[in-house]
Amino acid sequence: MTGFVVRRIGQMALALLGVSVIVFALIHFVPGDPVRTALGTRFDPDVYEALVRRHGLDRPLVIQYFSWLGSALQGDLGVSFRSGQPVTGLVLERLPATLTLAGAALAVALVVGVPLGVVSAVRSGSKLDYIASAVSQVGVSVPDFWAGIMYILLFSLTLGWLPPSGYVSPLVDFTGWLRHLVLPALAVGLVSGSIIFRFVRSAVLEALNQDYVRMARAKGLSRRAVLFDHVLPNAWIPIVTVVGLQLGFLLGGVVVVEIIFAWPGIGRLAYLAVGDRDFTVLQGSVLYIATMFLVINLVVDLLYAWLDPRVRYD
Amino acid sequence: MELRQTLRTLASMAILVVVLVACQQGESVDVGDPGTTQAADGGTVGTSPPDTGGGDETAGGTLIAAQGAEPDRLDPHLTSAYASFQILENVYDTLVQPGDDLTMEPALAESWDISDDQLTWTFHLREGVKFHNGRDLTAEDVVYSFERIMDPETGAANAYRFESVESVDAVDERTVEIRLTRPTPNLLVNIGGFKGMAIVPREIVEDGTIDTHPIGTGPFRFVSSSPDQGILLERNPDYWQEGLPRLEQIRFVQIPDPTVKLTNLRTGEVHWVDSVPPQELEALAGDDSIALERVPGGDYHYFALNHAREPFDDVRVRRAIAMAIDREEIAEAAQFGAATANQTAIPEGNFWHHDYAPFTPGDIDGAQALLDEAGVSDLTISFMVSSEFPETVTQAQVIASQLEPLGITVEIDDVDFSTWLDRQGQGDFDAFMLSWIGNIDPDDFYYAQHHSEGGFNFQGYSNPEVDDLLDQARVETDQEARKALYDQAVEIIVDEASYIYLYNPENIGAWTTALDGYHVRGDNAVRFVEASLGS
Repeated sequence: MTGFVVRRIGQMALALLGVSVIVFALIHFVPGDPVRTALGTRFDPDVYEALVRRHGLDRPLVIQYFSWLGSALQGDLGVSFRSGQPVTGLVLERLPATLTLAGAALAVALVVGVPLGVVSAVRSGSKLDYIASAVSQVGVSVPDFWAGIMYILLFSLTLGWLPPSGYVSPLVDFTGWLRHLVLPALAVGLVSGSIIFRFVRSAVLEALNQDYVRMARAKGLSRRAVLFDHVLPNAWIPIVTVVGLQLGFLLGGVVVVEIIFAWPGIGRLAYLAVGDRDFTVLQGSVLYIATMFLVINLVVDLLYAWLDPRVRYD
Repeated sequence: MELRQTLRTLASMAILVVVLVACQQGESVDVGDPGTTQAADGGTVGTSPPDTGGGDETAGGTLIAAQGAEPDRLDPHLTSAYASFQILENVYDTLVQPGDDLTMEPALAESWDISDDQLTWTFHLREGVKFHNGRDLTAEDVVYSFERIMDPETGAANAYRFESVESVDAVDERTVEIRLTRPTPNLLVNIGGFKGMAIVPREIVEDGTIDTHPIGTGPFRFVSSSPDQGILLERNPDYWQEGLPRLEQIRFVQIPDPTVKLTNLRTGEVHWVDSVPPQELEALAGDDSIALERVPGGDYHYFALNHAREPFDDVRVRRAIAMAIDREEIAEAAQFGAATANQTAIPEGNFWHHDYAPFTPGDIDGAQALLDEAGVSDLTISFMVSSEFPETVTQAQVIASQLEPLGITVEIDDVDFSTWLDRQGQGDFDAFMLSWIGNIDPDDFYYAQHHSEGGFNFQGYSNPEVDDLLDQARVETDQEARKALYDQAVEIIVDEASYIYLYNPENIGAWTTALDGYHVRGDNAVRFVEASLGS
C-alpha cells in the first residue's frame, strides 16, 4: 500500500512536469506578446526593449523554461508580468473561493444525482424514471454559463431572492456567503448532478440484474435489505469513479462560471492570464488545479481498496 | 410515495422556471429593495448598498462602483489598463488636468509661465498639498515622478509623451522648471492629460508598495484591495480642494460579465457601472431608479488598410473602399444609434473639429469607377478584428455587406486582442479595425498615426506633405494657425484614406438616481471627487 502511494506520487510529479511543459509551449506558440499587451496601443520602442530585457524575454525559450522550472522546484513560482505580484500569493488568495465553489457544486451534484439515480434504477420504467432521465438530459446539455445567466435573471432580477454575483467570506458574514454561493453552485452542480445521476442509475441497474440479487430475494430478504446490503455496495465503485472525475471537472469547469458570477477564484485568474499572456500566473494557476486533480484521483483509487475488498495495491 | 410527490413538485418547479425565464425577455423589472444588509466595511462584494449614513444628510456615504475589467496593477506609471485608471483617477493628481470641457486647468500646479522662446515652462505648485501619508508635496516629487516616467528602464508606456522634454528641475520647494528641445504647445496635455503622469512620492516606489498600496494627493486614499472585497478607498480629509470630496468611501468591485454587471445595478447591489453596452440603452431608459447620461466623446472608430500590400498601396483602391461604405449604417449597427458618423477623427463641437466629408455615403458607382481605373477586381480583404471589442466584429460584418456590390469579399479574422496587437505590430494584416480613445490634443489624434515616422503608423502611410504639416503644427503656438495646419493635414489624410474614419461613439454612463454630482466626461475619466449619495 505504501509502495503504491509512493509510486503514485512519483507519477504525479511527472504528470505535473508534463503539464508545465504543455502550458509553456501553448502560451508561447500562440501569437501575442506580454510586453505589447501590457503596454497597450501606445508606447515608446525603448520602453518595450527595456521591459523585454528586464523580464528575460529575449532569452531562448528553452532557457526561459528551465529558469522558471529551477525556481519552481524551489517553491518560487515567479512574479506576474502584468501585476508585478508574486504568483503564489495571487493563487493562494483565490484558492479558498474556488474550493468553496467546487465543494458546494459537488454537494449539489451528489444530493441531486445519487438519490435520484438510485430511485430511478429501482423503479426503472416508471414515470418518475422517465421524467428524471429527461430532466438530466437537459441538465447535461445546457451549458453552465448560460444556466448561470438564466438563474441570475430569474432569482436576482425578477424574484429578488438572491444577490446576482459576488463573493463574501464566510468569516465575515456567513449568511451572505451562503446567499452568494447558491446560484453559482447550482449552475455548476446541476450539470455534474445530471451526469452523476446517469451513472448511478446505470450502475445500480446493472447491480440489480446480478444473480446474487435474485439469490438474495429468493432467500426472502426484503427489497430494502437487498438494496442496501447487496446492490449499493457493489454499485459504489463506478459511482466513486464518476464522482472523482466530476470533482476534477468541477475544478476546471468553474472557470466560466467564476467569470459570470464575478467569483474571485483561480479560474478567473487563469482566464485573465491567458488574455494578458501572463505566463507565470497561468502556469501557477494550472499547476495548482492539476495538483488538486491528481490528488483527487489518488484518493479515488485508495477508496476503491476500501470499498471493495478484492482491490489490493501490493 | 413521498418521493413521487417530491419529484412531481420538482418537475413542476422546473417547468415554472422555464416559463418564467421565457417570460423574462428583457422586461425591466425593478426589484426595488435596495436593502441595508451590510455596512460597506463589512467586506462584501456586490451586497446591497449600505444605508447611506443613518439619516445624516451631509454624509456622502459609501459608493459601490462596478468595473467590467480587472485592474492589473496600481502603479499609475506602469499600468495601461483603463480599469486601473478608474481607481487611480481618484487617488492621484497631475500637475495640470483636463477640466470638464477638456481644456487644461490647474491641479497641483496653481499657475505656470512660459518663456518667450517657448522652451522653458515654469510651474508654481499649490501650497499645503499633502500626500496621503502626511508628507508635504514638493517640487522634488514632480521631478522624481517625471524622471521616472522618462527613464526607459522604468517601462512606462507614457515615456513617449516626454519626447520634447529635455530636463525637469526643482527651482525651489514649490517651483518646477521644464526645459524643452522644441516648442510644445500641447505640453499641458502631454504631462497632465490623464493619471498616467501622476505625481507619486518616491518612498512608495523605493519600498515597492506602489502597486499594492498607492499613495497620492488625490481626493480619496487607498485603504485595501483583495480579490473578494474589491478595492476600497476612503475620503482624504486633507484634500486640497475645500469641502471635497463628499463621499466617505468608494468600493470598486469587478463584475466581468456585462449582463450580470447591469443586473447588479438594476437590483441595487451596486450604485454605478463603468460602461453600458448601447444595446441595453432602451431597457435601462425605462428604469426609474437608474440615471443614464450620454455625452459625445472624443473617441473614434476607424479601420486602416495595409499600404504595404497590393492593391492597398494604390490610393484609388483605398478611396474606393472609403467611398463605398455607409458610416451611418455602420454606427447604427454597432452602437445602436449612440454614435455620430464622421469622415474625420475629431467630433463636431470640439475646437479642433474640421468639417470635411468628401465621400457620399454608399457611393458604389464612384467606388466601382475607381476600382476599374486601378484595374482591380475580385478583391478579397481579410479584416483583423477582436471579439474583445465586439463592435469591431459587427462593423466588419456590415462593411462586408456594403462592399459586396463591388465584388469585394471581406473575410472576418477574429483574434484575441493580444494576438491582434502582435500582428498589427508585425504588419501581418490586410486591414485592422479598432478605436482610439482618450485623445485630447490634435497631436494625439494625428502624429503617431499618420506621420511617416509615427510610432503607430502600422498601416504604413507616408506623405511628405502631411509629415511637414504635422511637424509644423506640433510646434505652432498660435491656436488658430495651428488649427489651420491640422485642417490641411486632415484633408489629405482623409482623401488618401490613411485611416478610414467611421464614427465617434457617445460615452454612456449609468448609475443609481441616488448618486449626485457625478457626470460622464468626454475623456471617460471617472472622477468621484464631487459625487455624493442621497437616499
